[in-house]
Amino acid sequence: MAESVIIKNVTKKYRMYKSKKEQIGDLLFPGKMGSDFNAIDGISFAVEAGDVVGLVGINGSGKSTLSNIIGGIVPPSSGEIIAKGEVNVIAINAGLNNQLTGIENIEFKCLLMGYSKEKIAEVTPQIVEFSELGDFIYQPVKKYSSGMKSKLGFAISVTADPDIIIIDEALSVGDQTFADKSLAKMNEYKNRGKTIFFVSHNLSQVRNFCNKIAWIEGGQLREYGPTNIVMKNYNNFIKQYHKLSYEEQKAFQKKLADRRKYGKAKVKK
Amino acid sequence: MKAFINIIKEQVNSFYMIQRLAKFQLKIDNQNNYLGFFWEILNPAIQMAMYWFVFGFGIRGSAKIDNVPYVYWMLAGISMWFFINKAILNGSKAIYQKYSMVAKMNFPLSVLPSYIITGKFYGHLALVGIIMVVFWISGYYPSIYYIQLIYFMAMSYLLAFSITLLTSTLTVVVRDVQMIVQSVLQAMFFLSPILWDRTGKMPEWIQEILRLNPFHYLAEGYRASLLKNEWYIVAEWQLTLYNWGLIIFLLIIGSSAHYKFRNRFSDFI
Repeated sequence: MAESVIIKNVTKKYRMYKSKKEQIGDLLFPGKMGSDFNAIDGISFAVEAGDVVGLVGINGSGKSTLSNIIGGIVPPSSGEIIAKGEVNVIAINAGLNNQLTGIENIEFKCLLMGYSKEKIAEVTPQIVEFSELGDFIYQPVKKYSSGMKSKLGFAISVTADPDIIIIDEALSVGDQTFADKSLAKMNEYKNRGKTIFFVSHNLSQVRNFCNKIAWIEGGQLREYGPTNIVMKNYNNFIKQYHKLSYEEQKAFQKKLADRRKYGKAKVKK
Repeated sequence: MKAFINIIKEQVNSFYMIQRLAKFQLKIDNQNNYLGFFWEILNPAIQMAMYWFVFGFGIRGSAKIDNVPYVYWMLAGISMWFFINKAILNGSKAIYQKYSMVAKMNFPLSVLPSYIITGKFYGHLALVGIIMVVFWISGYYPSIYYIQLIYFMAMSYLLAFSITLLTSTLTVVVRDVQMIVQSVLQAMFFLSPILWDRTGKMPEWIQEILRLNPFHYLAEGYRASLLKNEWYIVAEWQLTLYNWGLIIFLLIIGSSAHYKFRNRFSDFI
């Protein structure tokens, strides 16, 4: 099968400052003040068209940063992403305005997504139908519960039809019935042969939905492969991690943090 | 130069989006007030009354300027100011404030300042309409020179856009730019003949320099079209050329700065 997304030695470096003084100092004399933090540290892997890749890892490991880089929202510091086709991030809560009503928000968010007048007219009834909001669609969004708001956002987001989709914690929307419905929608994408990146802490969802897993640890790729193999290793890791004492967990976190300060390239030297 | 052409293309292609988003912005801004959009006019009206009372009635004792009573002279100029001041202030903040709303979508970011400006422009149209009625009642009837007003309103819009294209980008990189914009605008306001007429009160050479302030050209243009019935564009053709040069210059710098930083906005916010 053809490769759809190639991630080539991608690194994302952030400068960290302890105070405003350091920040100004670094601006005037680059590299003298502040310290580096490698949010993503030399990750490479290739994804084939039709793959559904789950990104897993503990909090702060860099899953979201990586998904943002693949989605083109954040530029990498070095390395590159070669994506064959249009990439779209399913961002449920982005682009909704609390002051506007549901139906106004549909047009508002569709405009932000770059839809034409005709396309908006075409998808609006589908969104109203999918969101299951009934008459609430004419109420301002500020009166919605968080579940209702997510439903609306999700219903709008899935009208996009890109080749590569990135979902960051999106399928835990609303109650169980709606979550099932969204999962069904995602499976529909999957069956149409779209490449999907799926970021989640819900491991059972990841296991059911993805055929490959990329396990990210401390900004680096620990393991990448078919779901059943990587998932087993990740589960074992989680179990072991839980068995560690509080001090040992802290020591492990610190080891990762130190590694991220200097980055892969320098450690090798 | 390529950036300049891209920006123009992006604006033209997004024309429908800009119009709709501007309308939504007006709705969002005024949703919570009972009087809604009316405040967009009421607010400047109260300020105009104050300026007239202090500068016209109080300090000048209702003397005439260029054969026009002070209050009308001031109204014509200041209507432009209320638009351009708000448009530049809010437009400069546009990318910084609204970036998170559109971060995850393929949104043409140069549209953010322009839809904010367009929203303010609607309020401006209404305000100019009301001022026209006031002038008709006072005996300044519509004339062929109203055609010139369309030109000057378009010029105001273009000037606001060319300035905010640059300042909205710089504000993202260095937040202090917003403060600088505010101070410079205030200075330009008092250095332009919006509230007071400086003829004969200053040495000739200072007056000549002050004419380079683009707000001078716009304020005088509004007056020439609404009150004085002159073809100001032709009579002051040097200023016309100068202002066009200024706008194009700002657009070229602004668009190249915008494209230079566009991919890295997420790093700065």
